[in-house]
Amino acid sequence: MATFEVERQILPILGSPNQGARFYNPELPSSEPFVPGHRTCAGCGPSIQYRMTTKAAGDNTILVGPTGCMYVANSSYLCTPYNVPWAHTQIGSAGSFTAGVAAAYEAMIRKGKWKGPYPNIICEAGDGSASDIGLASISGALYRNHDCLIICYDNEQYANTGIQASSRTPYGGMTTFSPPGPEVPEGKKLFPKDLARMMAAGHPHCYVATASVGYPIDLMNKVRKGLNHRGAAYLMIYTPCQKGFVYETPRSIDLGRVVVECGLYPIWEWNPERRVYDYSFRPQNMRPVSEYLKLQGRFGHLHAEHIAALQKFANEQWKMMGVELPDALIWAADPQNQVNMAAAAEAEEVAETI
Amino acid sequence: MPTVIAGKNKTVRINGCVASAQAAKYADVDVISAYPIRPYTATMMALAQMVANGELDAEYIVADSEHSQLSIAHGASSCGARAFTGSSGVGVQFAYELYSPISGSRMPVQMMIADRTLDPPGDFGSEHTDALSTRDMGWLMGWACDAQEAFDNHLIAYRIGEDPRVLLPQMVCQDGFFVSHITSDVELPDPGQVKEFLPPYKHPYPLDPRRPVSHGPQIMPEQGPPLQLERARAMEECTSVIEQAHEEFAQIFGRRYDPWVEEYMTDGAEVVFFLQGGHAVTARFAIQHMREKGIKVGMVRLRTIRPYPTDRVNEVLSKFKVVGVIETNMALGSVSSGGALYAEVCGALYESRERPLVLSFMAGMGGEAIVLKEFYWMTEKMMSALKLGKIEKRTHWVGFED
Repeated sequence: MATFEVERQILPILGSPNQGARFYNPELPSSEPFVPGHRTCAGCGPSIQYRMTTKAAGDNTILVGPTGCMYVANSSYLCTPYNVPWAHTQIGSAGSFTAGVAAAYEAMIRKGKWKGPYPNIICEAGDGSASDIGLASISGALYRNHDCLIICYDNEQYANTGIQASSRTPYGGMTTFSPPGPEVPEGKKLFPKDLARMMAAGHPHCYVATASVGYPIDLMNKVRKGLNHRGAAYLMIYTPCQKGFVYETPRSIDLGRVVVECGLYPIWEWNPERRVYDYSFRPQNMRPVSEYLKLQGRFGHLHAEHIAALQKFANEQWKMMGVELPDALIWAADPQNQVNMAAAAEAEEVAETI
Repeated sequence: MPTVIAGKNKTVRINGCVASAQAAKYADVDVISAYPIRPYTATMMALAQMVANGELDAEYIVADSEHSQLSIAHGASSCGARAFTGSSGVGVQFAYELYSPISGSRMPVQMMIADRTLDPPGDFGSEHTDALSTRDMGWLMGWACDAQEAFDNHLIAYRIGEDPRVLLPQMVCQDGFFVSHITSDVELPDPGQVKEFLPPYKHPYPLDPRRPVSHGPQIMPEQGPPLQLERARAMEECTSVIEQAHEEFAQIFGRRYDPWVEEYMTDGAEVVFFLQGGHAVTARFAIQHMREKGIKVGMVRLRTIRPYPTDRVNEVLSKFKVVGVIETNMALGSVSSGGALYAEVCGALYESRERPLVLSFMAGMGGEAIVLKEFYWMTEKMMSALKLGKIEKRTHWVGFED
């Protein structure tokens, strides 16, 4: 029975992937498995991602939704936005429930209990589920190589519970579990868990990639590559949260670009066949991190040394991608060349808005 | 070697764990999720070998925890696959989060439990606290007392749980070691009999791209009670399905079980033991011996604890003067300050006009065998309550008192 091959579909890769066709591509499918009418915030990064992902996947798809924003705010009973089958599961069950779905279809197709091509099985886990409580279950699903795509929609915090720090919250990010104060001026003291790289390193047979809502075609192509890959795939996608990051609502996509341009969110692919990272993605510009930080209230309390620490972190990311650092970015990593974001009182005002 | 006794049926000598694995094979399960913990592990070992040998076509998933085991089974069952999992002791508890979501989404997952004492301090012996602690989560639940009954219970439980009028998960329990690791004769049926008894699993609303549905969306507080009521009614109203399933099982397989309670030598009995699981086998011997001496003692064994057969327990136990509940579980600080069964027995008896006296015996704790001497000792306590016409002490820790 190991030789039995179930029928699988192959999704075409879209043209003009990275820099061009920012919002429109004639090859985009017209199907909308994720429809309007849900209760997410205006400008919600995760739901923008959800629409792109499901558009790329098409209608022969099953979605698994562990607890998180995309469960709580999306799936209101009697008016869920999913045009394809969707199931809630517990926040720690992201990988395991998905594995159950994949195993069920493997078995049912093989045993003739279900007829048709193997469906796209996609798990949409928030970064709390993916980096903390559901980490082991996702690792298990990747390790066992179930044919599924597990997405971490990374809004860098537990958002639906009221903005708490996760392992993905950046250094200096203000959350209700990492507030700044006189004793802890930077707020979040720890740098984020390098989640996607951890998945690639630990499960090298899987297709692993990072993406951002700032690059929709690249994102959709990575969804399709992940689904076309026979076996498990993992995508970590930057999805800004207006409520937690505190920015102007229409700037979600801008943030998705600036975060990449300043080096804080490296975009890459892990090639499971050749077992190498592909760092060929290059943003149009390179910027200092301060340009990203100043757009968001959650960084409003940072002092010069904290900004410099983040610049140092970004510079390390650039180096890792094999990018030569311009002098301006090396200069920006020196605290003497940075200024405080705001006075403490102003930072407190921002905190009130979360 | 198995001995053929009649037709294609064969009798094999296997333990409870292997009997459970055999039942899963006969049920042609589609997805199995395993994680090791003693003593139930032997079931998964047997299933792994069956899959490796090509005897069973199923996805065998080695999960990363019991929490994942249950989630895998939940996901598989949600798609319309027959799912089988299991655990013991603290493993049952590690998965605790999933019990309510699985019954709430009405997925007839089946879980085999071979009981194990909860930690501390890492005791392998059988104590029913592991499964009993989940008893109010909306799962059908009952204990077998030997390997044959364990085998049969698995098939019967799938049949009940997957019935479209029920759609509830099932915990099919057996004592660790006393049942799970003691070999006895088990009659394996002809696959045709199983086919006749157990129709294929068909959930009315599976996760199927051709008919999109949403499972478990977020609700507003006022939308909760109707869903809870539906689940409560499913549990309440499945009694007729349970009785019908046992009746048909008897017709097809020739083994008849009362779905709710087994009465043993209760004719003319004044005092009875009330218990679940494997200790019933020893109890039968003890009762035989005592009956030979003229002591009017019997046994009532609970076979199904969820749904709890309240009226039946009332009707049966009202016939006697004294009931001695053998707990084999811990319910610290509970009604009797002993085990969980006492309160449920008393609750069932409350409306009886002729209530017996009820004693709670903490026996078989930590997985110790309840030896004949202890049955005699407990009978003495019941007889003395009978003579006095009242209870001097509600709960006895057997082996710790004179």
